[in-house]
Amino acid sequence: MSEPSVSAGIDPHARQVRKFRLQDRFFHHTTQLFAFVVLAALVGILVSLTYEAWPSIKAFGPSFLWTNIWSVPDDEYGALAAIYGTVVTSVLALLIAVPISFGIALFLTETCPVWLRRPLGTAIELLAGIPSIVYGIWGLFVFAPLFADHIQPPLQALLGDVPVIGGWFSGPPIGVGILTASIVLSLMVIPFIASVMRDVFETVPHVLKESAYGLGCTTWEVARSVVLPYTRVGVIGGIMLGLGRALGETMAVTFVIGNANRINGSLFAPGTSIASTLANEFGEADPGLHIAALFELGLVLFIITFVVLAISRWLISRSMGSEGL
Amino acid sequence: MFNQPMPDQAMPPDENIALQVRNLDFFYGDFKGLNNVNLDVANKKVTAFIGPSGCGKSTLLRTFNRMYDLYPGQRAEGQIIFHGKNLLDKSQDVNLVRAKIGMVFQKPTPFPMTIYENIAFGVRLYERMSKSAMDDRVEWALNKAALWGEVKDKLQQNGLSLSGGQQQRLCIARAVAVKPDIVLLDEPTSALDPISTAKIEELINELKSEYTIAIVTHNMQQAARVSDFTAFMYLGELIEFNETGTIFMQPVKKQTEDYITGRFG
Repeated sequence: MSEPSVSAGIDPHARQVRKFRLQDRFFHHTTQLFAFVVLAALVGILVSLTYEAWPSIKAFGPSFLWTNIWSVPDDEYGALAAIYGTVVTSVLALLIAVPISFGIALFLTETCPVWLRRPLGTAIELLAGIPSIVYGIWGLFVFAPLFADHIQPPLQALLGDVPVIGGWFSGPPIGVGILTASIVLSLMVIPFIASVMRDVFETVPHVLKESAYGLGCTTWEVARSVVLPYTRVGVIGGIMLGLGRALGETMAVTFVIGNANRINGSLFAPGTSIASTLANEFGEADPGLHIAALFELGLVLFIITFVVLAISRWLISRSMGSEGL
Repeated sequence: MFNQPMPDQAMPPDENIALQVRNLDFFYGDFKGLNNVNLDVANKKVTAFIGPSGCGKSTLLRTFNRMYDLYPGQRAEGQIIFHGKNLLDKSQDVNLVRAKIGMVFQKPTPFPMTIYENIAFGVRLYERMSKSAMDDRVEWALNKAALWGEVKDKLQQNGLSLSGGQQQRLCIARAVAVKPDIVLLDEPTSALDPISTAKIEELINELKSEYTIAIVTHNMQQAARVSDFTAFMYLGELIEFNETGTIFMQPVKKQTEDYITGRFG
């Protein structure tokens, strides 16, 4: 009598377990599929970029990277000016944005009165939400004229005669150019870097900061010697996020960089970047070498961002390794 | 001739007293965390603060170096006389106060830098010295904290690579290295194992010949072992303050007796 009741008790249980196991396997495979879609997209983009760029790669070889020529009529292309513009604007943008972001994040986490913390933090996040085209038109129609009239002339007067760096500030103050693009870019990446820095600064244990204050440190000393070393991995990550964004930024840069496909030693001079060249020329490019060269530019940008990512990983792992942990 | 001494600056500095706490109230916003606390912390002695959680003993300790200043909404009223001056005065330079009154916390808090730098960092804030003088100071401080033998071959390793007990002694060395007058210990052994605890207690015994020590502890045996004076606090008030032997053997107040015999808390 008791036997059927026992088997009746076990059987549904076993069935349940089997069902769970099936569900688990299904779940595992589904999520795995999603994850592989990312990988497939990455490989697909890389392959198709290379495929489309192939005529240009074949025609110019590796010298594409260091040739300073971009002539549509002659069908001769080299990426140097665009690479130069991309790298210089991004690096300058970071040089401007990192200290400012650091200051913003420090103020928000260490010295800001509590009632101001939330409105300021929200304002910074809103700044990150402004579409880049808006930065572009603002940069071209508002900032560039102001910059040409009120900032470039005094800057030139002040630094124009200094040896070595004087050349950076030479040439006519026309508003648009490499420096303007860098400044607009820095405004665009500040919210990203600042909010990452703020978030990681908030992870520093209060008691660690109190220990430093307890030795008689000022807020600045605590920030430099305790907060920054403690959070350096996150800070590097935030800076790299900003750099990645600056490298690829298209619309705003296209508006204010001046779109001149040449390299000029002056930061006041117009230039170009990879992204802005692509945006400007894709519409009217004829099939053939021109399109292929543009695709190759795209491939170069892809590789640059990949290298930046790799370098940031390396920096992070090195700084964690040096702790001897 | 026999005027009352002025309650503020004019108070004659007493050699035997490191800190005079007078009519001290403390507020967390609207909540009153300390109520009219009065006591003298004896010079070059160990004063222990005991009492149940939330009684205000850590709060009191944190007024001694104005650590509460970091948090808006927290404020202290009254006087804490240190070297003849009220250190709660707004005009008092809080960084200098903290350089003279060091603090060690419940959890070890080595800075994210090498063992050497952990010590040298604080010294460098207020003193300029040569590399060799700094080396000597680091060795001296680590010796004071009974840590030198264990770390002398790995001074360039990160402070975080040490064990918990070693980290805490590193923090004590760091506090001692700047040659403060007073060292505040806020439950310094509550995160440590018994062996490390014993080492820290030994250390407290040695340090008191040169430093005034104020220690907050949950462990009454520890208070009995290491301190010369004990203050029992309850609900933000100082209930009883006396020599440690008296507090533990013949407490005057019923609440003190209940607490030390384990009847509440």
